[in-house]
Amino acid sequence: MEYLLLYAEGIDAQPYDPAEDNIAEWVADVQTRGISEYGERLRPGQDATSVRVRNTRVLVTEGPFTEAREWVGGFDIVDCRDLDEAIDVASRHPAARFGAVEVRPFMTWPDAVPGQRVVPADLPGRAAKGVRYLMLVCVDPTGEKDGPDDPNAWVHEMDGRGVRLFGEVLRPPADATLVRSRGGKVLVTDGPFAEAKEWIAGLDLLEVSGLDEAIEVAAAHPMARAGLMVLSPLWPFDVADDHVARAEREAPERGIRTEPKVSR
Amino acid sequence: MQERARGGPVDPAEAVGEPEWDDRLRLVFTCAHPALPLEARVALTLRTVGGLSTAEVARAFFVSESTMGQRIVRAKAKIAHAGIPYRVPPADALPERLDGVLAVLYLIHNEGYAATSGADLQRPDLAAEAIRLGRLLVGLLPEPEARGLLALMLLQHARSAARVDAAGDLVPLEEQDRTRWDAAEIVEGLGSLAAPESGRGPYRVQAEIQAVHARAASAGETDWHAILARYDELPSSPFVALNRAIALGMAERPEAGLAALARLAASGALEGYHLLPAARADLSRRAGRLTDAAESYRAALELAPTEPERRYLQRRLGELGG
Repeated sequence: MEYLLLYAEGIDAQPYDPAEDNIAEWVADVQTRGISEYGERLRPGQDATSVRVRNTRVLVTEGPFTEAREWVGGFDIVDCRDLDEAIDVASRHPAARFGAVEVRPFMTWPDAVPGQRVVPADLPGRAAKGVRYLMLVCVDPTGEKDGPDDPNAWVHEMDGRGVRLFGEVLRPPADATLVRSRGGKVLVTDGPFAEAKEWIAGLDLLEVSGLDEAIEVAAAHPMARAGLMVLSPLWPFDVADDHVARAEREAPERGIRTEPKVSR
Repeated sequence: MQERARGGPVDPAEAVGEPEWDDRLRLVFTCAHPALPLEARVALTLRTVGGLSTAEVARAFFVSESTMGQRIVRAKAKIAHAGIPYRVPPADALPERLDGVLAVLYLIHNEGYAATSGADLQRPDLAAEAIRLGRLLVGLLPEPEARGLLALMLLQHARSAARVDAAGDLVPLEEQDRTRWDAAEIVEGLGSLAAPESGRGPYRVQAEIQAVHARAASAGETDWHAILARYDELPSSPFVALNRAIALGMAERPEAGLAALARLAASGALEGYHLLPAARADLSRRAGRLTDAAESYRAALELAPTEPERRYLQRRLGELGG
């Protein structure tokens, strides 16, 4: 079964300690197991952009939907035997110690091609042709109820334009599992990382010329009317890096917005 | 069967009936999986492992049958959709996951133990049900802590007839008619503790405390030093500290217990918890400090959450003659 691991930051945990960051070990482990499909770190929440369409107007706001401190700092897509393996893998990720990992199964469709994975097998080796954004498709109770919500036409169009690298719908938050590691013990609980009225229903990885194109692509999705889209720029880093040096180098960026400020 | 053993999710309801022992054990771990909400774990365990009907489980938790039905359906849906495996966890994960199973059983037991009013005669005896599940678990997986929990539940349940008087009021351990304790359950509980000493966890240690009470022919003959030694073995918590202070007051002098209670009160950990002033009142009374005792009974009365507890404290306050 395929799972999305969402790394939530800002959960009651020990502060990030780069000296204890063993991400290279983790990546080596999931690669040895053959379960890793794709994963990226995301830029801080302040660099995220929310897109809604209401009364045919595109509303763009800074930051993610939740006003809480916690937000998604990265993600991985893994193909595990069952939930226990996904929990095991999640619990070993440094994010389980420095935050929490939300484990979300993907929707499985009755007409799915057997053996086909969410992420195209050649994607990790493919050179980027543009700027990549993770687009989180979210349900928002304030969204418009009467509009179309079938994304097939959008998927077809964006695949044709080459701006959508992959995407899939997630099982609802009721099927989510939260995994934390505290003091050497693995804590497994029911539910998503944040109890908000909005919730993450799916995701797409976009490859575009920049934020403006990302907003245009997001706004064209039917869920921009019925819910909202959150665009998060990726924040790649070398897992084999000296994390202490990296954290020092990146420290200023954590407090400075690097995406152009949006207002429409 | 081999395929299912490898972890494919399964509808637990399908496994109800007369499954083989390993099927049953897998079911126990699936129903108590920590990714399920706690209330769903309890409901699913009673329904699919315990074999209670949805209506019976609903009655036990004072919710409508449709609410309980939905809760069980949602839990089964999560088992299927989230890929919760149908298997006994591997050895390295077993202790942690067994803790989760035991917690569900103990929760079911306490739900029954705390509510002995008998107002609803149709309410299944949850404490007895938890014991039945505990016996099943021990039969399948005789781990020390599983046996410890079974012993703990049996030794507590053995006293249930003596815990409440004809008027429905709580009878404290000290005043209980010990001839009304269930001898068969005590024998079974002590037997469950007879096994090796290795791997003594918190359930076993708590059961050993109950065993000291069970072996005492009268309240006056209770070996409080043995109880005190057991409290020293339990992981520290404010509740353990409270009970340890009481045991200390009983084993040595009430003043020693009062000093420990004063330290606990100063920590602020049990602020607003009625059993803290109630314990202070009891030890003050034993120390002959009747003014302090009356003051503490009044403080406990202010905080006591249930009517039977308030009646008990009121009676004690009255008996001080103040």
